[in-house]
Amino acid sequence: MKTMIPMVLLAALAGGLPAAALAQASGDAKNGAQVFYDQGCYGCHGYSGYGRKDLNNTESGMLSNLEVFRAFLRGRGDVAPLLPSTEMPNYPATSVSDAQVNDLFAYIQSMPADLPEAGDIEPFQSILKAAERPYSPQ
Amino acid sequence: MSKDKTSTPVEEAPKLGRRHFLQGAASSAAALAVAPAARAQNPSAFTASYSAPTYQQIQRDTGMLTPPAPERAVVRPGSDLMVQALRDMGIEFVAANNGSSFEGLQESVINYGTPPNKMPEYITALHEESSVDMANGYGKAEGKPMCAMLHGTIGIQHASMAIYQAYYSGTPMLLIAGRDDGFIQAHTANDMAAMCRSFTKWDAQPTTLEECLEALQEAYRQAVTPPTGPTMVVIDMELQKQEVRDMVVPPFRPAVIEGIDVNTARDIAQKLLAANNPRLNTGAFRTPEGVQAAVELAEMIGACTSTSAHQGPMGFPQRHPLCGPGADTDYDYVLGLEANAPDLSLRRPSVEMLTASRDTMAIGFGGLRENGPASPFGAPAPVQGTVVEIDAQASIPVIIGEVSRLMTPEQRSRIEERKARHAKANHDAFMSALHEAVETKKKGWNLSPVSTARIYAELWPLIMNEDWCLASPSSFSGSHHMQLWDHNKPYSYLGGQGAGGMGYGLGACTGAALAARERNRIVINVQTDGDFNYAPGAIWSAVHHELPMLTVMHNNRAWHQEFMFIEYMAGVRGRGTDRGHIGTTLRDPFIDYAKLAEGYGMKAEGPIDDPTQLAAALRRGLDVVKGGEPYLIDVLTQPR
Repeated sequence: MKTMIPMVLLAALAGGLPAAALAQASGDAKNGAQVFYDQGCYGCHGYSGYGRKDLNNTESGMLSNLEVFRAFLRGRGDVAPLLPSTEMPNYPATSVSDAQVNDLFAYIQSMPADLPEAGDIEPFQSILKAAERPYSPQ
Repeated sequence: MSKDKTSTPVEEAPKLGRRHFLQGAASSAAALAVAPAARAQNPSAFTASYSAPTYQQIQRDTGMLTPPAPERAVVRPGSDLMVQALRDMGIEFVAANNGSSFEGLQESVINYGTPPNKMPEYITALHEESSVDMANGYGKAEGKPMCAMLHGTIGIQHASMAIYQAYYSGTPMLLIAGRDDGFIQAHTANDMAAMCRSFTKWDAQPTTLEECLEALQEAYRQAVTPPTGPTMVVIDMELQKQEVRDMVVPPFRPAVIEGIDVNTARDIAQKLLAANNPRLNTGAFRTPEGVQAAVELAEMIGACTSTSAHQGPMGFPQRHPLCGPGADTDYDYVLGLEANAPDLSLRRPSVEMLTASRDTMAIGFGGLRENGPASPFGAPAPVQGTVVEIDAQASIPVIIGEVSRLMTPEQRSRIEERKARHAKANHDAFMSALHEAVETKKKGWNLSPVSTARIYAELWPLIMNEDWCLASPSSFSGSHHMQLWDHNKPYSYLGGQGAGGMGYGLGACTGAALAARERNRIVINVQTDGDFNYAPGAIWSAVHHELPMLTVMHNNRAWHQEFMFIEYMAGVRGRGTDRGHIGTTLRDPFIDYAKLAEGYGMKAEGPIDDPTQLAAALRRGLDVVKGGEPYLIDVLTQPR
């Protein structure tokens, strides 16, 4: 049984997909979301692009444009397994097609940024305020 | 102690004599049950010395057959004295999944004394791994042993994983293994403790009641004496049922744990007082008293101090004004107390010292491997300066005595000034780190599924004014409490699994909650789903014993670490990662943890995937927990 992308991810995608990003991307972001899920990209990058390696709002050169992104995936695939030098898996065309790379790139470009001001987050306000209290051993 | 001896039947006192009854009953029943023709066709099948349980034995084990009444009822069974010995040593709880090999002991725990079933209280576990994990969680929180009873060879094997983890954590605990020689062969052995000798500190298999009582007391002393760890006493059924007449439990002598000698303490005191900027590097002490002693020393000499309290139990209070880098990081004398230091470190011996005597079968487990790494998680920390292998906790009072004797009024005045400077610098350093952490933790705050940082951030304001204990390992859920929460109590955070094995969290949290129930404390369990499913029955124990434990599921529907490993392996081999979920994820179907908990009788809700719903759920859960009941909230989370 093939597991479809969870509804929560689709909802996030539908709510957060900037129209400008859709217009600029050559691939299909919704298909890209499924590729992102099927390939387990969320394992390191989170369901929303925040994880061990963030994809949102990064200035990574590997995400600067589609060609570089594809070359990054493919180039790593060309040298594997001789030089598995980083934690990022390799993706030759036999595992992720060019069309899927296009969709994936479109999806990554569409990921909504979510970096609210800490001052607007009530628990953080409480935490920062409480941390100013003098220490009490009891 | 007669740890190498096998038991022999005790002859001098009245006994139930079940084995004789069973042997006789079994042979006559077998004679009736086996047709003569079958016997003739395969005679060897009926003459094997080690056979499967008989019909009568199974009937007895399943409660369908009761043993015959003895000629004279035992008035004072040996097991009453064993329970009295546990009571004398302050054992609060005995956790067990019941077994016929300790039925005498179990009956004494629940019926002996006034009030019965109190000190110790019998805690019903659904699996021996849970029993020992409970003892591990309790031992970490309190720094003293809890007891777990194990049923013969099968109970020991069920418990072995949890014992192994406790061993690596150095958690003191007292294990009692029931032995019923002559009943079901597969449930007994000549030397039962051998099955886990490589990862227990000490064991005994007494042959008389006097030896048994002595063994229980020595097992306690051994468990709490560095290197601390699990100890085991194998107790024969016959000893539990023996009539003791006027025998009494010998007075318990607590363990004597040595610290440094006065001359060494004086030398340390002189250096601490002569230094312009002394520092204490501190690790985990044995008990809360060790933490308090470290605080007293730090305050006396005005030394800024490191802490391990955010990484595990029994650490220096994290928000103590002296805890932090201090006003000046150019330290001119650094004393290590259960931690490395460039000048002198006092560190109690580790379990590696036991290798030669305990790894008798040369199994070569993990850190016990000859010439192997000291820790299964990496290379040992480099040794700095001079290391004295001795218990720091027992040494600090001697140092304090010398500091007190040698300190001049001028030094006292200088120290007070230094403390004020350190306090301000440490506060500023903490706040700076906290502001930095907040900027990181806010990423994805509003997105679904819920970020793990949000779980910890929402929890902290709700519990910071309570007496709380975070008992679950946090490394798989981001360890966000380390930056966001204050760890000021010896039990604020109980650390990791010990040997990195899954299945520990739920049982350990339940054990910590046993301690908490008696102390008006609450336990927080941020529970990873993979770990949960090894021994979920601890949920029932928490409900049954009315434990104040809030479980918040970190439900990423996977054994996520392994998922990433497989993804990487498939990736570097260029074979695609689209099948990495096979064997590593919990999907098709997803598990409904709220329903599962409700099935065990626990109040629960979820799954929650909308982060805006989290805070209200946590409040509901904490209200229930503060009322003395456990609660579970299933939260669908980001992977980490």
